Amino acid sequence: MSEQNATPSGASVGETFVRLRNVSKIYQRGAEKLRVLDNIDLEIKAGAFEALMGPSGSGKTTLLNLIAGLDRPTDGTVEVGDTKLSALREGRLAKWRARHVGFVFQSFNLLPVLTAEQNVALPLLLTSLSSAERKKRALTALKVVGLSDRTNHFPRQLSGGQEQRVSIARAIVNDPDIIVADEPTGDLDRQSADEILDLLQKLNQEFNKTVLMVTHDPVAAERASLTRRLDKGSLQ
Amino acid sequence: MIPLSYNVRSLQARKVTNLLTALGIGLVVFVLATALMLTEGIKRTFALTGSDSTAIVIRKGSDAELSSWFDKKHQALVMAAAGVQQNADGKPAGVGEVVLVVIAKKQGTELLSNIRVRGVTENVLSFRPEVRIIQGRPAKPGTNEVLIGSQLVGRFEGMKLGNTFELKKNRPVRVVGVFESGGSSFESEIWADVDVLRSAFGREGAVTAVRVKLTSAAAFDGFKAAIESDKQLQLEALRESDYYAKQSEMTSAFVQMLGVSFSIFFALGAMIGAAITMHATVAQRRQEIGTLRAIGFGRLSVLGSFLVESLFLALVGGLLGLLGALAMGLVKFSMMNFNGWNEVVFSFVPTGAILIKALTFGGVMGIIGGFFPALRASRVVPAEAIRR
Repeated sequence: MSEQNATPSGASVGETFVRLRNVSKIYQRGAEKLRVLDNIDLEIKAGAFEALMGPSGSGKTTLLNLIAGLDRPTDGTVEVGDTKLSALREGRLAKWRARHVGFVFQSFNLLPVLTAEQNVALPLLLTSLSSAERKKRALTALKVVGLSDRTNHFPRQLSGGQEQRVSIARAIVNDPDIIVADEPTGDLDRQSADEILDLLQKLNQEFNKTVLMVTHDPVAAERASLTRRLDKGSLQ
Repeated sequence: MIPLSYNVRSLQARKVTNLLTALGIGLVVFVLATALMLTEGIKRTFALTGSDSTAIVIRKGSDAELSSWFDKKHQALVMAAAGVQQNADGKPAGVGEVVLVVIAKKQGTELLSNIRVRGVTENVLSFRPEVRIIQGRPAKPGTNEVLIGSQLVGRFEGMKLGNTFELKKNRPVRVVGVFESGGSSFESEIWADVDVLRSAFGREGAVTAVRVKLTSAAAFDGFKAAIESDKQLQLEALRESDYYAKQSEMTSAFVQMLGVSFSIFFALGAMIGAAITMHATVAQRRQEIGTLRAIGFGRLSVLGSFLVESLFLALVGGLLGLLGALAMGLVKFSMMNFNGWNEVVFSFVPTGAILIKALTFGGVMGIIGGFFPALRASRVVPAEAIRR
């Protein structure tokens, strides 16, 4: 994990880390063109914890995917750190995601046939680390999320809250610059949701991770230092 | 690289479907391996029958002993030719034999089949030292006593030590001994006294083939030249090993062609089965694939992972098929030898090359069947697939 006041990317806390310029996203559905994002300009500071809210279909997840390098804008540019994502080809974009982004999904997206430790170690398989080092880092990440005693459990043997914590361990194991969380508490009860939000806050405050979270839950959004609202593809 | 444990455990998660797919591939590997093993068995059976340093002389233009007849008086000329070994008693090491085919009823059925009968001389056992009498005793020369090959015992009516059966109507013979000859095709023959056989079938004064032991394998060319240079004889000399290799050619080629054709035909079905299973797998694990892609695994990693999974599935099936094929090694299989028109018993003989060839065929089926599903997996759009 990184030192205080310096984010994993090397950028200082408070520096602009994510820049979107005139970003639009249009999906073609047969003959119909669907404008999901409309001319978005956005800057996110390094070390920020931001929530993105808005009604269903407002374009929150699409915006999150563009920042995470999972999708490409139809128009405009997306820059994260020093990298202009819109200029990267598919293969390079995948490598960039592996190195710089940690993903947390609403339905956890753990591989059911792998243990907690193996799930957490997955992103490390894309590095040149030795097997012993991968294991050490995966166990450290599981310790950070408080699941040291569940390393050999399969997802089906864990509660929803525990699964999401494994997913967060997987997201931080390669020390990414930014954690993108799409409805991380959407499938959890209140208590588990609070635990997950505590964890995301801890990662933001203690490890200076930039966290961008899509949520419908106003209680979850309150944990963020800034909440942005999206409606019909435009930031309010 | 996506860990192999992910593929193996994912296969275990859908045991029944995957096992059925593997068995489909296993069946093809089984068919191919058994056909190749039988082909090898046929070749071995005939190869064991022939020796490099023994020559067989038949009538020129005849393909086999069965279609060869020539005057018995030529026998002495053949045995006196250059390169023929002499026994301790100074006599040439050779035998002049008569070979024909009789019809016999298969044990417990109404089915008839051809059996080869060899008219042998008194010195047959010393001429063929590999032949061992395992039951009974040698037949007395000039009598109606016969020896039978071990592969005939119990397969045809009357073919049992002490029993009597008819070679042809009103020509009964009695089994006084059963012999083995190291798995060669002699074990599927009846050996009767040559003169009794000639008389029974009206072939007095004729032989079908003369075999001689040569002083060495290298002496064959000189012997052949001596036999074939006499145009009046109209005889042809062959190494016994070459003669039997030729005998096995048509039968083994037929079995191999049949086996390979069936395998290719079945393989199409098994590959379609594998493709359907892998397509269903990809559809079911779309979210997992999307997650792997989101985390940073590239298209090639996903393609490779699913190809490995399909290959693994095929190899499991292939190994099951090979186990089944190896079990066939315990089975004896009788079929018509196309050159001799008699029934010969063969074994399924496994070799390392056959097992590797059949398993590789299974693996290739897995890769071909799994390619398009794997390609489809690699083209999953992560942003769409990660959501439920």
